[in-house]
Amino acid sequence: MIKDITLGQFFPGNSILHRLDPRIKIILTIIFIIIVFSAKSLLSYLAVFLLSLSCIFISKINLRVVLKGLKPIVFVLIFTSILNIFWTTGEDLLFSLGIIKIYKEGLLFALFMVLRIVSLIIGTSVLLTYTTSPIMLTDGLEKLLSPLKVIKVPVHEFSLMMTIALRFIPTLIEETDKIMSAQKARGADFSSGSLSDRAKALIPVLIPLFISSFRRADELATAMECRCYHGGDGRTKMNTPKLTYIDLMSVFLFILFGIVIIFTNNFGGVV
Amino acid sequence: MNAIEISNVSYTYSKSTPFERLALDNISLSFKTGIITGLMGHTGSGKSTLVKLLNGLEKPDCGTVTVMGENIWSEPKQISKYRYKVGLVFQYPEYQLFEETVKADIAFGPKNMKLDETEIEKRVKDSADLCGIDNAMLEKSPFDLSGGQKRRVAIAGIMAMQPEILVLDEPAAGLDPRGREDIFKGIVEYRKERNATVIIVSHSMEDMAKYSDEIVVMNQAKLFMQGCKDDIFAKSDELRSVGLDVPSITYLSKKLSDAGMPISSNCYNVKTAAGKINSILQK
Repeated sequence: MIKDITLGQFFPGNSILHRLDPRIKIILTIIFIIIVFSAKSLLSYLAVFLLSLSCIFISKINLRVVLKGLKPIVFVLIFTSILNIFWTTGEDLLFSLGIIKIYKEGLLFALFMVLRIVSLIIGTSVLLTYTTSPIMLTDGLEKLLSPLKVIKVPVHEFSLMMTIALRFIPTLIEETDKIMSAQKARGADFSSGSLSDRAKALIPVLIPLFISSFRRADELATAMECRCYHGGDGRTKMNTPKLTYIDLMSVFLFILFGIVIIFTNNFGGVV
Repeated sequence: MNAIEISNVSYTYSKSTPFERLALDNISLSFKTGIITGLMGHTGSGKSTLVKLLNGLEKPDCGTVTVMGENIWSEPKQISKYRYKVGLVFQYPEYQLFEETVKADIAFGPKNMKLDETEIEKRVKDSADLCGIDNAMLEKSPFDLSGGQKRRVAIAGIMAMQPEILVLDEPAAGLDPRGREDIFKGIVEYRKERNATVIIVSHSMEDMAKYSDEIVVMNQAKLFMQGCKDDIFAKSDELRSVGLDVPSITYLSKKLSDAGMPISSNCYNVKTAAGKINSILQK
């Protein structure tokens, strides 16, 4: 149940994608998002979709895992598709029955929407969250944003907060699971009754969860102080990532792909 | 009749993800009615998973769990009734306390059973007595108590549901000797009073030597051995091979018997062992 959430989870591996510099991966993700949103024709959408599929292939992550991550958005996909199919008007009338009119543009729009959302989720999760450990991710972010230190933005503190937050997500999920099981063993019922009943049923979970979070935070702060943590000044990293030619190559490839997409926007199934 | 029977049960965590892990591998065993069974095993041997199957918190991938003659998954919608038959105390149960007073927290289980007020009151009183919780403590906030006291409150919360089978996962972990003794005393008392079946998951051979009647040993998701205390403790070499130990006194008696002293090699009670050694020395 609660443990099955895969969105935003890291899967250890040793593919090229896993080994890329986290900074580069963040940049690639941004380029990828720009590419997805600049696609305009059927051909370019298919190309984007293909790009995200090849990312899965390169990352060597089990396809089933990726599909499982898509599960929560199936409803959104169906909903937007229906809206698009029935509410878009255009010139090519394909089918009409009473007030229901389906246009070719509507069908295309629906397909575009599905391709766009699916590619976006697959691409960003495979490029970033599935293949980058949270530590590397925040490290990369800190490095990328470090120029902001000049204007007194506490970059290190923010990235540390993020690291801690990310680090404790699985812990909290596990803890929630444990407490829920324990209260279930005492006859608590989370899955039936009215909405207010269910909300009330969460109290026996939330209170212990809050208390243990505070306890954890306190323990962590003590542990950090014991190891003489004093903020980011003069702090060095154990692993300093160095850019390799593969990193630069991948950025080059993505930009090239973006140019191709803009080029193909004029061909095949333009709306 | 056995209180709980498990046949050909397997259980896998995070099925069909890269984190897949087989926790129970085709296990068949039974827990006898009315006695205390110790469930032992190395960390990660599957004890805690097995325990969650006993009251239907987790559903086995295959195989059946039978509680007092009824297959608990024959009607999945009715599964919650077995939560009252098989009371399960988790590891570190003190972290599940949430109510404003100790009394209200102990009453949480009985309230969920939809019992009437007087019955709840009575059960809270009874289980508080069993666990050594006095009236003054009942009115306190559970968060103001010490670790050992919290643990006792949590256990009392399960006992108040008066389950016929009481399962405890490491009930004494992390407590001082005095705290351990208090907890086990309460459990033994509960078994006597309600004629209940008790299953205790534990690492401590000494505790199990003292309180259990039968012992089940698990190793790497499989059943390793099951039997009465004397038989299990006689196999100290096998126990060592799976990362467990025998009580120190058993170890001593085995050494003495190996050295030629006429003493049984599976002695687990310090007093009897001392008596025997004494009588041998005086001859």
